[in-house]
Amino acid sequence: MQRTQTITRPKALEDLLGGDLISKIGGLDIASKKIFAGKLKGERRSKKRGQSVEFADHRPYVTGDDIRHIDWNIFGRLDRLFLKLFLEEEDLSLHVVIDASSSSDCGEPSKFLFMQKAAMALGYVGLVNLNRVAATSMGGTTVSAESSGTIEVEPGEVRQVRDLRGRRRTHDLSRFICSLAPAGPITFRDAAERIALTRRGKGVMVVFSDFFFKDGYEAGLRMLVGHGYDVFCVQVLSPQEVEPPITGDLRLKDVEDGDLAEVTISAPLLKRYKANLAAYCEELRAFCARRDMSLITVKSDTPIDSLLLDYLRKRGVVR
Amino acid sequence: MTWLTPLIAGIAAAIAVPSLVILYFLKLRRRDMEVSTTLLWKKAIQDIQANAPFQKLRRNILLILQLLALAAAIAAVGQPQLSGDSTKGDRHIILIDRSASMNAIDGDPKKTTNPATRLEIAKKQAEELVETLREPGVFQKESADQAMVIAFDSTAEVRQQFTSDKSLLKAAIRSITATDGPTRLSEAMRLATAHSKPVVVENRGLVSGPGSVLHLFGDGKMPDALETQPGASDTFMFHRVGGPESGNVAIANVRAERAFDNPSQLSIFVGLQSTMRGPRAVDVELTIDGAVAGVKSVTMPPATSVMPETSNTDKGNEVASGAGATEGEGKPPTPVFTPSTGGVVFPMERVEGALVSVRLRGLDDDSAGNRALSATADVLPTDDAAYLVVPPAKRLAVAIVSARGNLFLSAALDGLPLSRHDVMSPEQFQKVLAEGRGGEYDVFVLDGWTPGPDGDGSLPPGRYVIFNAVPPGAGVVDKGVGGATQIVDWDRSHPVMRSVNLDPLIIGKNRAVEIVKPQAGGAGADVSAVVLASTTSGASIVEARGADWRAVIVPWDLMESNWPFDVGFIVFTAQAVGYVGGSSGGVIGQSQMVQAGSILSDRLPTGAGGVTIESPAGESSRLEAAADGRVVFGPIRATGFYRVSWAGSAGPTDSQRDGRNERFFAANLLDSRESDAASAETLELASRPVAAQDALETKGTRKLWPWFLLGALAVVMLEWFVYNRKVHV
Repeated sequence: MQRTQTITRPKALEDLLGGDLISKIGGLDIASKKIFAGKLKGERRSKKRGQSVEFADHRPYVTGDDIRHIDWNIFGRLDRLFLKLFLEEEDLSLHVVIDASSSSDCGEPSKFLFMQKAAMALGYVGLVNLNRVAATSMGGTTVSAESSGTIEVEPGEVRQVRDLRGRRRTHDLSRFICSLAPAGPITFRDAAERIALTRRGKGVMVVFSDFFFKDGYEAGLRMLVGHGYDVFCVQVLSPQEVEPPITGDLRLKDVEDGDLAEVTISAPLLKRYKANLAAYCEELRAFCARRDMSLITVKSDTPIDSLLLDYLRKRGVVR
Repeated sequence: MTWLTPLIAGIAAAIAVPSLVILYFLKLRRRDMEVSTTLLWKKAIQDIQANAPFQKLRRNILLILQLLALAAAIAAVGQPQLSGDSTKGDRHIILIDRSASMNAIDGDPKKTTNPATRLEIAKKQAEELVETLREPGVFQKESADQAMVIAFDSTAEVRQQFTSDKSLLKAAIRSITATDGPTRLSEAMRLATAHSKPVVVENRGLVSGPGSVLHLFGDGKMPDALETQPGASDTFMFHRVGGPESGNVAIANVRAERAFDNPSQLSIFVGLQSTMRGPRAVDVELTIDGAVAGVKSVTMPPATSVMPETSNTDKGNEVASGAGATEGEGKPPTPVFTPSTGGVVFPMERVEGALVSVRLRGLDDDSAGNRALSATADVLPTDDAAYLVVPPAKRLAVAIVSARGNLFLSAALDGLPLSRHDVMSPEQFQKVLAEGRGGEYDVFVLDGWTPGPDGDGSLPPGRYVIFNAVPPGAGVVDKGVGGATQIVDWDRSHPVMRSVNLDPLIIGKNRAVEIVKPQAGGAGADVSAVVLASTTSGASIVEARGADWRAVIVPWDLMESNWPFDVGFIVFTAQAVGYVGGSSGGVIGQSQMVQAGSILSDRLPTGAGGVTIESPAGESSRLEAAADGRVVFGPIRATGFYRVSWAGSAGPTDSQRDGRNERFFAANLLDSRESDAASAETLELASRPVAAQDALETKGTRKLWPWFLLGALAVVMLEWFVYNRKVHV
């Protein structure tokens, strides 16, 4: 709930991924409810018959087919042109989206740090499985290591690193994630629109956010769910948001837009707040379910390995 | 519970409470806290506000506590007080009896460690009563009770006018001191009635107001209570002090007599009375000029009790009337105690004058069975002492002034122990007067002749016994000579008529006289006359006295009656001469006796200057003698000897000390009603009997607002505690 008191920003990959975690998640792979076509032939079997070495089927030749795939052996036996169909091995595009608005910079432990770690872990899983990995931050600032300056991002802006593949790009990904710092408000709909416009192909998209958007999450999620992307939403809440440890007469200030709310904490009010939070999450879950998205709500004190090995595996994000 | 200023409290509440609530909203200092989003909070607030408009305040204990404190403070502004069920009156009149009986200390003096006189108890109760009066409101002065304080014995005085200032009232009450005088309620009631509030009602003028509450603090022994009547709208409360069982032994009378035949034989008669329920042994101690001259023990029998006669007649009345109402059924009739009487006589030989005091001392049986003198005889010490001024024995010089001579008179006077006995004609009398030798004779006996009126239309200065004439300017009017008649009534208690039987007297030619009231301010205003004996047709023997003369008048002719042959004539003549002549024999010292509570009034020789009077306590005060030598002092507060001293010429009986003449007066209580120390159960007023209240039952009012203020303080402290708890959670 409250802004994180002692902010520890990860400096390098080691801060994001520990050796333990790597060994635990090393056997995982990104999964999808559907197998998506990819740009590069990866280790993934596509439903599309393709140029893989693995035979799938034959079909009669029609005009215009690539004559290189004609099975001449069958033509020799049957004197009819058949095309040899192979299972095409495709890579899977993994797109990790981090909400870098100020609200993510709250809670103990910090929601943003949790998102960074989770995104890095997922990205690592994607990279080692030779998936095409992209990472996007909505809002926030980017601390460039070279200029030691920060680049503010407009509320609707996004920053991305794309087309990473292979274990050796792990550092590129970690550098990007480490360079992120949450700042300011974001306009989720605009950011989602930009992400939707710039992404290519199809794949798995995991959105880390608290989904507390003043202008609503519906329009943004609608933008993301299109174009054949399998969208997983991970709603990260701090323990303080779930159980507010506050008392007394307070003037609550929204960290993103400075909006004020004067409250006198009382048992009925807390009860009402929790009911509202539960209703909000339930509403979000129902919205995602209606649009064939998956939503899990985790607290920021959840261990990353249990997030991946337990929550996400159950939901079929990894296997 | 009543509120002195409810309206102001209401206004204060109407202003302060909303102000506090508003201030609470405005003033609330909230801690700033950054949260990830206010989205859910705003929604929660909206939800709750929609559910309950004052949700914010409902659970806010600080505001509730502050409101409580404010409510208590506002209640205090309203000045609530617990009012009792009795007195609602605005005006209280506190009557405090300060008479002699209020000096009594009830209870066994050996057992009570801190003896308090009845007056002290009454004053304490009166102060408690004052304490219960409604105080003036801070904002509304007129809502207060007012009280006045009247102290009375035989006279009454206002010690404090109506005021609501309790300290003034208490000071006035505290300043009351006991006197040795008897009780007269009527004057106090007159004073109280005069101060009761009249109310002007439109179209009807003055009518009696809502009435005052009269609080009488005393023992209720008021002989004139039946003559007093509080106003119809007044409430009368009788706060009794003293026990109804308290017995008392008192000197009811003291008298000195010299024998007619031998004036040096002096007898002191001490009359005693006892209201004790049992017999009581006392020592009567006689002191002459400060030295004990004799002690006599006497055991007083117990007071006789009589049950009130209520049985037979009342029953008969009830049967006759058939009415079911029975009076006083619930309460057994209290017996009426009649004091037992007794007395001792101290005979002695004494020619000189003396200051005689008599004192009672109680004889108590101690544990060993020995009788021991106790300091006090009973509950009331005032009447255990009596004082008497005995003038020196004196043989009178008497002159018979008669135109024709009177054998009977001469014979009667011959038998008296006179120093001088002359017979002179009216002309010789005038000559003696003209020569200024009137002072040589103590008494002139005028027979059938009176001197003409002198300058002031009255008798010349002197003492007279007048037969067969009516002097001018003596307050009596000659109604002319009538027929034969007889005496039907005479004042047997008068010193002149004592032991005189007038039953056999037949008056052949009566000369009836009538006493005229002197006109106030007119000639003869200081002349007074009293009838000593009367016939069917009017007064027949009169005592008259003027400013400087004194006379016993027998207006009819002795020769026309059978009186000269009766022994009563001799006694009468002797007593009359002795009486007007200032006592050579018979009862003496009465003219220098004054009852406590009354006014001491006497006449000093003309030209007396530098007059001072010294009280028994030794306090000296100056008196201004009038032109004719009259001095007045009083009312007398304490019993004892009063010494009047002056410079100038002395009277015949006056003594001298340090070059100044002095004359003593004895002040005594000598009031049998006052000496009855038992306090009354009921006070019988003319209008109704008033039952006594032993304890102060008038729970008037009790202020509550200080408690409200204390409550407010406590709540504020609690609020502070809660606030700190809350802030530092």
